[in-house]
Parts: sequence; C-alpha cells; structure tokens
Amino acid sequence: MLAVRVVGISKRFGNHVAVDDVSFEVPAGVIYGVLGPNGAGKSTTLRMINDIIAPDSGHVELLGGLRPGPEAAPHVGFLPEERGLYPKMRVLEMIAFMGELRGLTGRDARRRGETWLERLGLAQWRTNKVQDLSKGMQQKVQFAAAMIHEPELIILDEPWSGLDPINADVLRDVVREQQAAGRTVLFSTHLMEQAEQICEHIFIIARGKKVLDGRLADIKRTAAAEGRVALAFEAGADRERAESVLADRTLCVAVRPAATGEHADVEVELAIGAGAQRLLAALVGAAVALRRFEVVTPSLHQIFVERVGRDAAETAVRVPTEAA
Amino acid sequence: MIAARKRAGLPDWMVIARRELLERLRTPWFIIVTLLGPVMMIALVVVPVVLGRVGDQTARIQIVDRSGRLGEPLRVALVAERWRAELVAPDTDEQLLLGRIRDDRIDGFLIIPAAAPTAGTFVYKGDNGSAEPIMRSLNRVIYGVVLAARGDALALPADKVAALLAPVDITTRHTTGDDQGSSGLAAFLVGYVVMFVLYLSIVLYAANVLRSVVQEKTNRVVEIMVAAAKPRALMLGKILGVGSVGLIQVTVWAVMGVVTINQRGALLGAFGVDAGGWSVPPMDAVDVGVILTYFLLGYFFYAAIFAAIGAMVSSEQEAQQAQTPVMMILIIPMLCVQLVANDPRGAVAEVLTQVPFSSAILMPMRWSLGGASTVSLVVSMLILAGSTFLVARLAARIYRVGILMYGKRPSLRELVRWLRY
Repeated sequence: MLAVRVVGISKRFGNHVAVDDVSFEVPAGVIYGVLGPNGAGKSTTLRMINDIIAPDSGHVELLGGLRPGPEAAPHVGFLPEERGLYPKMRVLEMIAFMGELRGLTGRDARRRGETWLERLGLAQWRTNKVQDLSKGMQQKVQFAAAMIHEPELIILDEPWSGLDPINADVLRDVVREQQAAGRTVLFSTHLMEQAEQICEHIFIIARGKKVLDGRLADIKRTAAAEGRVALAFEAGADRERAESVLADRTLCVAVRPAATGEHADVEVELAIGAGAQRLLAALVGAAVALRRFEVVTPSLHQIFVERVGRDAAETAVRVPTEAA
Repeated sequence: MIAARKRAGLPDWMVIARRELLERLRTPWFIIVTLLGPVMMIALVVVPVVLGRVGDQTARIQIVDRSGRLGEPLRVALVAERWRAELVAPDTDEQLLLGRIRDDRIDGFLIIPAAAPTAGTFVYKGDNGSAEPIMRSLNRVIYGVVLAARGDALALPADKVAALLAPVDITTRHTTGDDQGSSGLAAFLVGYVVMFVLYLSIVLYAANVLRSVVQEKTNRVVEIMVAAAKPRALMLGKILGVGSVGLIQVTVWAVMGVVTINQRGALLGAFGVDAGGWSVPPMDAVDVGVILTYFLLGYFFYAAIFAAIGAMVSSEQEAQQAQTPVMMILIIPMLCVQLVANDPRGAVAEVLTQVPFSSAILMPMRWSLGGASTVSLVVSMLILAGSTFLVARLAARIYRVGILMYGKRPSLRELVRWLRY
C-alpha cells in the first residue's frame, strides 16, 4: 500500500511557481525525507498533502486512496513549519484538545496525552500553562499534539529546526518508534545529516521541481557505481607518476583535491564504463605506489550539492511567507 | 485503502467553541466583570437616590429685598423648609455678598427685583446653583410667595389662591393601541437599556472575535489549527464560543438587573429611602424572545464581519485600523436612538429597524415601545437572518484564504479573488 501518492501537483503564487508538476510515492511503513534548499517548495508540497492549500493541478491520495481533508484527517498527523500553541492553555489540555480535533473522545485524548507527556519527559509539567515552558519543551508538546491520535501517516515539516541535540535525539527515537509500530513518517528538512541518519527513502526538490527520488541506499549505490575513487599516494614522486594516468579522459573525467579529513590526496571521478579496476591496473602499471585506494560512497550531502547545484542551494530565495 | 475511521468525539466546531468558552470563563476578568456589572446596576439605582437624601437639602442664604414687600414672607417660607435665610439691607453691595460666599459664611444670596411681584427677574447666586433638588425647592418657594402676593394684589383671599394652585394630577402612559400601556418613562428606559446592552455586547464580543483571530496569527497557532480542522469549523467554533461567553454574561446581568429593579423598593428601603412609584413595564415571553433573537443575530452578523477582518490582517495595529469602519457603522444606530424613541411608528424608525446594520440594535427598543407591527418585526428578522447567513458565507471564504496570510494586507482586488476561490 502507498501511504502517499502525489500525482503531478503544481502550485503557483502570483508569478512565482512554488511547486511545478511534482510526483512521488511514499510506501507505507517507511521513513521518507523530502529534502531541498530553503524555498524549494517543501512546505508548499506538504501543505497540499494536508489539504491546507489546494493544488492548482494534479492530485494527492493518502493511505491507499483517501482524499486529503476531513476523510483522511483522523489518520494523518501534521506538524506544520510555522507552529505555535495557545499560551494560556495547560499543557495536557492543549494536547488533548488537538486529539479531540482529530476525532478522539475527550477521555481518550486526555489518557493518550498523559502517555505522551510521560514518553517525552514532560509529565511534571502537565498542569502548567504552555507559556511557562521553554521553547524546546513547547516543541515537544507540538510533536505530541501531532501524534496523539496515533495516525497511520505522520507528516513533519522541518521537525528538527530549533531543537537542541538532546531533544533532536529524542525526536529521532520517536520517529523510529513510530516506524517500528508500522506507521509512515514523512518529513521535510534541509539538514542532510538528519535525513541520512534515519531516512530509507528520499525525495529531493529544488526550485519547485523534482530532482530525484528513491531508496537512499539505491541512490547512494548508483552514485558510487558511477564511480568515485579516493587516492592517497606514498610520496610526491608517486603523485607525479600518476599525472599521466589521471589525465587519460577515457579513464577519469575529473580529479579533485580530496576534502580535508578524508585521509586522501585526490578524489577521482571515473569515466563512464571505465571501472575502478582499470584505474587501479593503470596506476600499478605506471609504478604508482598507493597508500590508499578506495571506492567511495558519497554522503547524502555530496549527492545533494551535486544534484541540486551549489547555485540552487545558495541562491534559492526563500518564498515569502505571505505567498506560502 | 484503509477503512475511514469513524469519529468518536465531538465535531471540530464544538471542540473549538468549548475551548474558546472555557478559556474566557476561567479568566479572573470574566468573573470580575460579570459580578461588577450588576453591582454597578444596583449602584446606578441606589446611589443617586441615597445621595439625594443624605446630601444637604437646604442652604444658608441671604436675601436682598429690593421690592420692599416680598423679603419677609419669603424668608418665613424658606425657614419653614428648614433653610437658614436672613434679610440683609436692600442696598448691600453684591461684591460683599460674593465675598461671603467665598468665605463660606453663606451658600448664596437671592436678589428680589424692585418690580416684584409683577415684573422683574429674581436672581440667585450661590455655590449650590447647580444642585438641582435645592434649586427646585427654592423655585417652588419663590413661586408660592410671588403668586400669593399677586393674588393679594387682585384681592383674592389666600384660600382661593390655594384652590387655584391645587396640583393637577397627570400621568402619561405609553401605548400604541394596547389598553395596558405602560409608564412612558419606564418603557423608554427599558428600551434604552436593552438597546445599550445589545450595543455593548456586540461591540465587546464581536470585536473580541477579531482580536482572538489576530492573536492566533501572531502566536502562529493557526497553522496547527488549520492542519487539524477546516477553517470554516475554526471560524464557526470561535464565533460560537465567544458568543456563548457573551450570552452567559448578558443573561447573568439581565437576571440580576430585573431582580434589582423589581426589588427596588426593598433595596432602597434598606437604605431608608422611599422607592417611588414606577415598576418595570411587563415583559412577556415574546419580548424576551425578540431581545434574544436580535442579540444572537446581531452578534453573529457582526462577529462574522470581524472574523473576516481578523483573517485579513496580521497584527493588532492593523486590526485596529481595519475595524474602524465597522465600529463607525455600529455607532450610527446609537446616534439614531432618539429618532426611534420619539416616533417609534415613523418611517425613519421603520427603515432603521429593517437595515441589517442597525436593526439588531434598534428593533428590540422599537418593539418594546410598541412601534413595530408583527409583520415589520418578522420581515426585519428575516432580513437580518438572511444577511447574517450571507455575511457568514463570505466571511468564511475570506477566512479560509486569509487565515494563513501573514504580512501585507490584501487589496480590494485580491479580496474579490479570495471570494471567488
């Protein structure tokens, strides 16, 4: 079953195309990351999935065919990017209130609220007013409010922004627990490290358009198969002897100094069809002594920067909130 | 496809309305205002009467008699009313008398003109010149003395003058054909109080809807809410929740107000004061129903407008500006109260109580004055209900689009586009 099926949705605000013909599918029971630079259209996409705004074209199906909106609401939990709470409400009441809006009875909502507060270490604050809580604690209350009705599909927009490392870990554990319980978690982030740690599937969006999607492991394998090798030479002379080999464009298309901390001198991008073995043979044939020869799996960060382009990552303008 | 889960709890709008209601009921302000309202009402009835009794009803005055004949009878009459009055020389300098007032040796002085009792002007100057009950009794005494003197001049004996001056008993009843009628003053007062309470509660609670919408925007909770409930449910819940607070408060006030007025005698008696004659004109179930209907419709009408305004703006300052036109419109019925009260059956009253912007406030008053026919009442209610329905629909559209907007206020053109979404 698909937890989310997005078919060709577009959204335009005035002259700005926020989301341009985007499609993707989220299998049930996975942790799915929507990645993209600021202003790429992540929040707009998630808002359309939650029926907060309607797409100009295309459509969305949830949990195997439910339409976003009242039909799907009891099964979906959503933490929006702009989030706040009623400052004067008591913590437990606030969570229970959100549960009731998602269709729970008052008693059930309170009971589950208690459980969540316990789980998030906020039990002793249950009768305090929301405004008495620190920002991090308020954010945990928001998570609880988004998940209290035990939705099959949990959608979190930039859930890690503003969290300290300890609470970020708590959230990561919660997300994993939810998946272990058979639920689907769809979240957006611009923090590649967070995504890399917990996502099985990713979807990269930039300037409103899909860049790539799929299983993270597959994407990494593909990127690696296209060929990237880290080299460390024994001595300066070895490096000179390697020059002529690395200059062969049928073997490698690019040679870059290796990133610091990688314990390598250069990183080589192989020509298509060349293969790491041919490069190794050529280097050994040229009597290059190697301290290290390693086929590299690129980090999600590298893939992201390469595919999205430094440009897009850095110059992408933040969509003004009024348009979003 | 998973089976759509059946909703176990209450519908969204109810959950939201309950939250809005409880949040307001729990504030100390609600309790203070609700309890202080009736206390103020009781004070309004009791304090002036008590003060009137307790306060100084007499005065120390000096009389400058330039007529040479009215001074003494006047002094005697005033002393009989427990005033301290004394005659001074007819040529006493006014500056000297003013000096005595300054030194607080007397409260004031009366100058009897030389041509009295047939002509001339009596002049009183004193520190109590604006004290209405004291001046009234001074007037009465002067009047009696002057008339007696005039009768004397016409050779009328005192008993005949008294017979001439015997008070005429006049009562006014307000009626528009119904033989009960009611005290004219009481009917007006009740109508006026009802109108004022309606105006006040619409201004207070409908405007409260606006503030609360804006606050949800500024503290960003609106996003979470919109994710969980339809904007229409949000708006409806908010208007109902805030309205219930208003209804509870107004009901408490009305009950305490009616009790206060009906127990007026006992209440005033406790302060040793005679209550005077009038009681509340009879109100039957229909009257109460009319007041309640207009309160609800009027509140909904304006609350929907205010909710839409709240959705259009993104800060309290902007909200202040944007609500000004509506507040102005709300003042119009207040300015037209006299028009309706003076001629409840006239054309102006008819128009004002049919137009939805003013009918909610003015119709209950016109009805209590008996100025509106049943047809007119029903038509007015239908117009108001219809307009409320329309306004609420438009407001819901504006609300749906506007609620997630921050920053720039929409132009009229954008607003029209929102309505067509």
